[in-house]
Amino acid sequence: MITRSLLDARGIGISFGGLKAVQDFTLRIPVGGLYGLIGPNGAGKTTAFNLLTGVYQTQTGTASLDGRRIDGLKPHEIAEAGLSRTFQNIRLFGELSVLDNVLIACHVRGRHSLVQTLRRSGHHVAQERASIIKARHLLSIFGLNRYEHEQAKALAYGDQRRLEICRAMATEPKLLLLDEPAAGMNPQEKKDLAASIRSIRNDFGLTILLLEHDMGLVMDTCERITVLDHGETIAQGTPPEVQSNPKVIEAYLGEVEDEPPQPTQPPPGAAACPS
Amino acid sequence: MDAAAPSLSPSRAAGFARGVWPLLAAAGFGLAMQFWVGPAAGPFPTTVMMQVGIAIILAVSLNIVNGFTGQFSIGHAGFMAVGGYVAATCTFYGGMIQWESPGRYGGFLGLGEWLMVAGSLLGGGFAAGLGYVVGLPSLRLRGDYLAIVTLGFGEIVRVLLQRTGKQLFVKADLGTDDFKVWPPPLGGAQGFKELPTYTNMFWVWLFAAITIFAAYRIKTSSTGRAFLSIREDEIAARAMGIDIAKYKVRAFVVAAFFAGVAGGLYGHSGVNMAPGDAGFQRSFEFVIMVVLGGMGSISGVTLAAIVLGALPELLRNPNALGAAWPYALGAVVLGYAASKLLRKRWMTTLGTFLLVGGSVALGLAIFGKIGVWMKADLSQYRMVLYSLLLILVMIFRPKGLFGVHEVWDFFRSREATPPPKLEAGGMTP
Repeated sequence: MITRSLLDARGIGISFGGLKAVQDFTLRIPVGGLYGLIGPNGAGKTTAFNLLTGVYQTQTGTASLDGRRIDGLKPHEIAEAGLSRTFQNIRLFGELSVLDNVLIACHVRGRHSLVQTLRRSGHHVAQERASIIKARHLLSIFGLNRYEHEQAKALAYGDQRRLEICRAMATEPKLLLLDEPAAGMNPQEKKDLAASIRSIRNDFGLTILLLEHDMGLVMDTCERITVLDHGETIAQGTPPEVQSNPKVIEAYLGEVEDEPPQPTQPPPGAAACPS
Repeated sequence: MDAAAPSLSPSRAAGFARGVWPLLAAAGFGLAMQFWVGPAAGPFPTTVMMQVGIAIILAVSLNIVNGFTGQFSIGHAGFMAVGGYVAATCTFYGGMIQWESPGRYGGFLGLGEWLMVAGSLLGGGFAAGLGYVVGLPSLRLRGDYLAIVTLGFGEIVRVLLQRTGKQLFVKADLGTDDFKVWPPPLGGAQGFKELPTYTNMFWVWLFAAITIFAAYRIKTSSTGRAFLSIREDEIAARAMGIDIAKYKVRAFVVAAFFAGVAGGLYGHSGVNMAPGDAGFQRSFEFVIMVVLGGMGSISGVTLAAIVLGALPELLRNPNALGAAWPYALGAVVLGYAASKLLRKRWMTTLGTFLLVGGSVALGLAIFGKIGVWMKADLSQYRMVLYSLLLILVMIFRPKGLFGVHEVWDFFRSREATPPPKLEAGGMTP
């Protein structure tokens, strides 16, 4: 495996008033990595995501993607640099069709001026056709092409989640951030999702950072895991290392007393944690 | 996935044709309205149709901001007034300097009319520039707060126009002390009067058709989808790489341009341009058209502009409407039968349209009959009826006549979607 790091975040942090939401967050992900970011409720996982994607501006530290500085950039510039994401609470363009949802994400890789749009220049037509082919291809991979003309909000919950991943991939990202993709899924759906995530990485050569609440999914799919608690990184390592880390156990289960923790590996989707 | 497949690029000639045919079609439509529909309908309906055409330009362009992009603007009349005053300055003082008199010069498609068109386009440019300025606050504000900013813009335009100087009617005055560059001699609170009447069916419907074409091409393009994504979810749009600041301002600029052109046409349609035209009452007329037609639906907004533009005129003589009741009743019965008895989707849809349209017509006819029966002139109550109609639409169609859809969406059968086809290995669908 190539060891060049695709994402290189060094000591990024933000505080809201006196609350240090995330501090000194350091994460390196090599090209093709499948990494996880976990932590109990309110640990700062989503805030860390928002820092990386430019929703919040970092107050300390630097972040770079593929050698290009991305801290301080606007969200759309970061998307253009090759970082795309999904949302914890699904944020599809509900009133628009499934196809349009994906086409909107194609925009960043092929756009045209207003004049070209109005006179339907050759450039415009070629690009529109290419975008539609690309979008249909992605939809068919996720088995969503039969819903092409449906409104996105009319899809079933699991399909909406898949459409979000599909949409994020249409921006042709180098790094894909998945924000709790398994939230609200049943065990079978989680199992399918885990397979999907692995195949996205393997077939598309994408690098993935998975933010998850569900320990089973993370332990099952990720190569390395970072654990956040109270905005601080408390552990980093392979799934077995993290599972046996006393700090992690403490963060998840509270103070350890006489009963030893059980670092068993639950089957994928067996829902170790409340979601 | 490959974007650069050569087969996707059409030839140069085809590209040129795609750019030009809407203009030709619009010109053809304008000529048909000018020489066929206008003379057939008579002078008064022609005036109404011209006002309707101008209303279409304004409503469809406002729809780009309010409907597509979801930014609530209620200052559209301000852009219209700016465009109108700029165009009127060109024709009035331009005509005075060039042709000695500010009156009409030249015949159909003559020099005077071309001056009006050039002035309108210039007015559109001015309005677009102001649209850029008004669009900037939309980057920080949304909803009610942005509405207040746009409202303020319209009022500023109105007050500035009231503060303009006395209008000069003779060329000789231009050389005297009466002429000042600031405040410009645009008539002040009394309005800009005796403007040459250059606007006709041709120009109105040419520009109305161009506006609709432009709105449609924007909506079905990557720019339009960027607009729509901002309406749906700004945070998601940004994360997908949409520069929302750029596109919000762009929506304002495009909408303001067409409003400015419409203002030019309005100013030369035989009315006195007055500062009140920039006020929020005018703006609200267009907002109502957009809301009634359905936010983002070009066809819905066009229909709403036609209905709301023509309805007050129809209601001027409500007693005559009573004669239409057999047709209205027929439409209701036919529509009900089609929507209930037939299986085909497009027939059901058509039946529903007939049913709704027929019901409205029947309501109007009954209104007219009541007038005849009571031997009363109900035309005084036409604004009540107009408002009642708005209330009813909002109760039964809270998202406007067509919601976010276009008319043709209702006729498209679901079966048109290609069957599911799975490709690429490894992924569980």
